[in-house]
Amino acid sequence: MNRYEKVFHQLRDQNEGAFIPFAVAGDPDIGASEMVLKAYIDGGADVLEIGYPFSDPIADGPVNQRGAQRAIAAGITPASFFRLMKKIRRYSDLPIGLLLYANTALHFGYRDFCSAAADAGIDSLLIADMPPEEHGELGRAMSVAGLSRVFIVSELTPPRRMRMICGEVDAFVYVVSRLGTTGTDATLSGSIRTTLSRLRSFTNKPLAVGFGISTPAHVGEVIAAGADAAIVGSALVKIIEENLDTTDVLPGLLAKKVRAYKAATSTKPYNGRSRYA
Amino acid sequence: MKQEKIKPEYFGRFGGTYVPETLMPVLAEVERAFIAFQKDRARQREYRELLKTYNGRPTPLYLAQGLSAHLGGCRIYLKREDLNHTGAHKITNALGQALLAKSMGKTRLIAETGAGQHGVATATAAALLGMKCDIYMGTVDMARQRPNVFRMDLLGSRVIPVDSGGRTLKDAVNEALRDWTASVRTTHYVFGSALGAHPFPTIVRTFQSIIGRETKKQLLAVEGRLPDVVVACVGGGSNAIGIFDAFLRDKAVKLVGVEAGGLGLKSGKHAARLCPASTSRTGILHGSFSYVLQDNNGQIADTHSISAGLDYSGVGPEHSFLHETGRVAYTYATDSEAIAAFSLLSECEGIIPALESAHAVAYAVKEAPKRPRKNIMVINLSGRGDKDIFSVADYLGKKI
Repeated sequence: MNRYEKVFHQLRDQNEGAFIPFAVAGDPDIGASEMVLKAYIDGGADVLEIGYPFSDPIADGPVNQRGAQRAIAAGITPASFFRLMKKIRRYSDLPIGLLLYANTALHFGYRDFCSAAADAGIDSLLIADMPPEEHGELGRAMSVAGLSRVFIVSELTPPRRMRMICGEVDAFVYVVSRLGTTGTDATLSGSIRTTLSRLRSFTNKPLAVGFGISTPAHVGEVIAAGADAAIVGSALVKIIEENLDTTDVLPGLLAKKVRAYKAATSTKPYNGRSRYA
Repeated sequence: MKQEKIKPEYFGRFGGTYVPETLMPVLAEVERAFIAFQKDRARQREYRELLKTYNGRPTPLYLAQGLSAHLGGCRIYLKREDLNHTGAHKITNALGQALLAKSMGKTRLIAETGAGQHGVATATAAALLGMKCDIYMGTVDMARQRPNVFRMDLLGSRVIPVDSGGRTLKDAVNEALRDWTASVRTTHYVFGSALGAHPFPTIVRTFQSIIGRETKKQLLAVEGRLPDVVVACVGGGSNAIGIFDAFLRDKAVKLVGVEAGGLGLKSGKHAARLCPASTSRTGILHGSFSYVLQDNNGQIADTHSISAGLDYSGVGPEHSFLHETGRVAYTYATDSEAIAAFSLLSECEGIIPALESAHAVAYAVKEAPKRPRKNIMVINLSGRGDKDIFSVADYLGKKI
């Protein structure tokens, strides 16, 4: 059983959803980024979603984009990133998902990138600008390295395509709760419930909802709507951005925030049967 | 039922659909609509009629005797794309895509713009067809292309300033793509160049290939033969692929793409992605696999050119393919060479070219004197230079 399966099975037994906080690696710098990720873990994160900073992150909103710019300005390189990931892996055994843009892996070389990622303790890759159609070569390198796949679906994804994507995924399906880029919204899109139940008819794999989730109430809502996990990114990255001059208070602030989000994941409707393959 | 494809997604190993999942359904929708649009006789007639009566096509092919005599080599023809309505080749594609968007039931257009020519063209098409229109433009480009910013405003479009990254074309494309992922239901993204994800490189090439077909016909009528050289500047590459396309199979015709050499390739401040001295490598940017200027960690590099329209880190995937097959030779002109060519054409011919097109003229300045009088060179004069007078005055230290 891999790390993802272990966590999602355990949470199912406890009748809880997973909470997945996101951060841009190296934001605001490598040292502070280590504190941020450890604070997420200390606050009770079930899975970590970590973004590799890219100069042109077209799937990200302004908050995460600025996070990536800070990390790049602070001089992140693939080598320093993988060293950071190894430290996090030594600190915790929870699953780590990496979100990146295709050019990062291509530049490094697909095979070398995947084996370095697996070696650093990363469990899955989600490439923001690489749909399954373009995944062939990288997908093979991921299989060789033992990395799990995550793909995105949205409310616009036609049913046939949903089924195809569900077949390609092995860690979890990343369900975007609204169209557009990552960011924080006041209210959640009403169509998320429909999207989740449609997806559930295609797959038993965990469904994680992200994009636009910013409050513990949102987390509770998506878990109650049938999601297995809620992903919060921009709302946390915003806290980092607001404390650039006082990074020493960040771990405390972030751990507390993560604890509040995590507390909202126990609203899962119990259906009494195994939901994961 | 297998979806009918207009062309393969790839040009050799270049191209593809490297986009967020949210855009995959709409790219398929655009492709289906484009196939239908091409077969729809009424819409094709409407498009041809607009090109003729609104755009002013066919644009003339003009024998530049003054420039030819001054350079003292081969005869130089100018394909006068600067005489299109709105002052550049961009309108031909913008009108086509606006009609395509209408056929898809979209009510809003968005576009990126560098020099502002594509923004103006899209704003024009939107005004003509009664559609809403938002144009993304880097703030560096807004400052150096002020006249075009105001033209878009007059045409009823909103210009949305982009302040991220190098604040030029690349950053404007990022923002337009972000808008589109949120607005796909109502909005069509009018890609201005032959880049982005499939099917855009093919759609833009198809609309712009009229430039090469006209050129061929016009030259055959006056000279009775094909040209020896065809030259065009290459930013994303739409005017270049537009004029090259008709000549790709005519192996005796030398095709030359001129990139922005900026302050020189050694300075690192340039936008030359394909010419031999460039340090660019293959990468993935804005939806396709192509040559991309990037740093040692795979971050996309910021570029420099005096010409906003050529100031871009990537290049259309078909150009990368034509570079690798060797069918097109890619070279560059520096800022100062482009400025010299800008002044030269203005003085010899009474034609003020766009700074982009001046890069192609700069190639002619170097190459034409080496060629015999019986040789024929065609320069795609992709746009006019009214928009550039402030930048050129700044560069020359003149006050206007």
